[in-house]
Amino acid sequence: MSASPYPPRGAAPIAIEAIGLEKSFVDPKRGVVKAVRGIDLDCRRGEIFGLLGPNGAGKTTTLRMLATILAPSAGTARIDGVDVARDPLEARRRLGFLSGSTGLYPRLSPRETLAYFGKLHGLTGDALDARIEELVDAFSMRDYADGRCEALSTGQKQKVSIARAVLHDPPALILDEPTTGLDILASSAMIDFVESRRSAGRCVLFSTHVLSEAERLCDRIGVIFHGRVLDVGTKDELRERTGKTWLEDVFKELVRRAGEDPDAAAARGRSV
Amino acid sequence: MSGANTPARDSRAPSVGRATLWVAAKELRAAFRDRQTTLYTIVLPIALYPFLFWCLIQASLFVQGRREHTEVQVGLAAAGDARIPDGLSDALALRPTSRDDPAADDALRRRLAAIDRVRVGPVRQPLDAAAAREWAEARSHAATEDEARDLPDAVVFVPSAASVDDARASADDNARLTVYYDSTQTASELARRRVVERIPPFVDGLRAARLPAGTPSEALEPFRLAPPRDVAPQKDQGAYLLSFVLPMLLVVMCVLGAFFPAVDVTAGERERNTAETTLLLPVPRRAVHQGKILAVCTGAIVATSLNLFALALSAGHLLQMLPRGGDVQIEVPLAAFASIAPLALLFAFFVSAALVGIASFARTFKEGQALLGPVQMVFILPAMAGAIPNLELTPGLACVPVVNVVLAFRALLNGESLPLEYAITAASLAASALFAIWASVKLLSRESLFAPERSGSGGVGAWFSGLFGGGR
Repeated sequence: MSASPYPPRGAAPIAIEAIGLEKSFVDPKRGVVKAVRGIDLDCRRGEIFGLLGPNGAGKTTTLRMLATILAPSAGTARIDGVDVARDPLEARRRLGFLSGSTGLYPRLSPRETLAYFGKLHGLTGDALDARIEELVDAFSMRDYADGRCEALSTGQKQKVSIARAVLHDPPALILDEPTTGLDILASSAMIDFVESRRSAGRCVLFSTHVLSEAERLCDRIGVIFHGRVLDVGTKDELRERTGKTWLEDVFKELVRRAGEDPDAAAARGRSV
Repeated sequence: MSGANTPARDSRAPSVGRATLWVAAKELRAAFRDRQTTLYTIVLPIALYPFLFWCLIQASLFVQGRREHTEVQVGLAAAGDARIPDGLSDALALRPTSRDDPAADDALRRRLAAIDRVRVGPVRQPLDAAAAREWAEARSHAATEDEARDLPDAVVFVPSAASVDDARASADDNARLTVYYDSTQTASELARRRVVERIPPFVDGLRAARLPAGTPSEALEPFRLAPPRDVAPQKDQGAYLLSFVLPMLLVVMCVLGAFFPAVDVTAGERERNTAETTLLLPVPRRAVHQGKILAVCTGAIVATSLNLFALALSAGHLLQMLPRGGDVQIEVPLAAFASIAPLALLFAFFVSAALVGIASFARTFKEGQALLGPVQMVFILPAMAGAIPNLELTPGLACVPVVNVVLAFRALLNGESLPLEYAITAASLAASALFAIWASVKLLSRESLFAPERSGSGGVGAWFSGLFGGGR
């Protein structure tokens, strides 16, 4: 096993933690649907943790529970040590969340958006103004900071969304398929951003089904399938345990070991 | 694929007519799978409009019933040398049918006698026209119910020239009976109607009794009825007129003012993909949802205020364009507006919260509009009570939301002082608003809003589970 360039596990405090996390929905047609079936994971400061799985595996539901958008049916989730069920407000204060369904208010400008979130995060006056200016410069938004968000390009919107998510400099950041729908340049900028958060000692948990992203970014990967985490480890650990080289094969092997036919599972995933 | 069989095909292309039908069939199928189209094309015509007409008929019957069972008092005033025609009191007291119709049996006669009753009296003579007018005004000026009790709702004045023995038609106004009434008082207006309705048959009866057979009826003109004289000051007439229009408009404008903001903060937010963004705000969810309701309420209040203000300013000019509109003086009822403001505010909260809660079931802006379209009728229909002439704010009606606010506004515009009824109205509206806000916050907090792929948005079950199920 090659030496990891990342901090050893256990050295940094846990920023995102899930213990036996479950989520069930009542569907009028299908009855009780178990979307997440007891997920355990932990993500430390200075670490990028990738949740890898096909569509319908339970990635988004898990992340929504961690972000306090959905209530867990069972289990515990903590953000920077704060239980999301007991104190969702404090959990939200310590978390940045970005997904395909966290759009921007189209009739506000980027600056107004940041001011709105900043105020509600407790920033006021000069401190708020200074933070907004810092983010405007950091994400090169000055040219369009005062125009309406509805007029921005996809890449510009993504920058504003990231700025919104890190405005309060949260110790934990959750990104749900952050590069979906982005072009090459915008995707690259997003990847640079995620790496910069790790460098800043923050924790990043992100979901993806793009294997190359996971390969490049993640310190550790959790393979999620059918609402369960099949395995967690560094890329090398996963390769070693499965005897496969490519992440795609690693994933298929883990699914096969879980008693599923990977091709049938893939077809089922597409139909979810 | 090379192995696939080529399907047999008719060499002729379909005709334009057939193609048109196929396209139409496909469009119809697609259209009726759209909930909005189904709602407006099928559900509303079948359910809402019959219901609406049923409500209108019921309201009309209710009003008619109240009118028929309202007894009014008509005073008789006569000049010093005038002779009050024999039988006039009886003619005014009973409906012609209940007295004369040979086909009416006793039971029908008794039932007819019980409705549209006029109590005639007292008789005051001698009294000149000016004094008769003052007598008719007295009831409106009475400070208490006790004071008003024995005062007539309307006065019939008999001038000196009127006599059943006078066989000539007279062009002189003094030869005509005059009804003095107050158009701003419901009972007085009813009294005028009943007098005007009953005098002509009475005159016809007199003619028939006195003229020899074959004589043209025009040969005898016992007396005529002059156009009724409205004793209400022009200012009061204007306020009375406004009192029928403004309360209903208050409700309509408030509902319309809340309509689009309510859809925008719910379905619009889901459609714009910003619902989750809002939920990430580091504040209690209750604050987020209450903030939305407050925003909608503010929109409703602004729209209502601007509409009412503009209408009140332009009402006078609009009235001038109507026949006899110049007789009415419209003044902006600022004092009444100030008094109604607290009730209107409570009502705006009630409407806004209700519309926001209901609109939360819509997934798109279009769906939200379709959903709230019929719902707004639930508010607007009861508001029509404000245009029912004989309906007054009672403690019972003060408990009924929407109806209470229009009747209270109407009473305030007419300068009526009803402290108990206003207090009940305020309490009822406050309770309704609080309940609507609670229900709306519960509905906005339900998880199915954020896991749309896993739940339907409609259905009675969704409503109840949204209200009484768990939320965050």
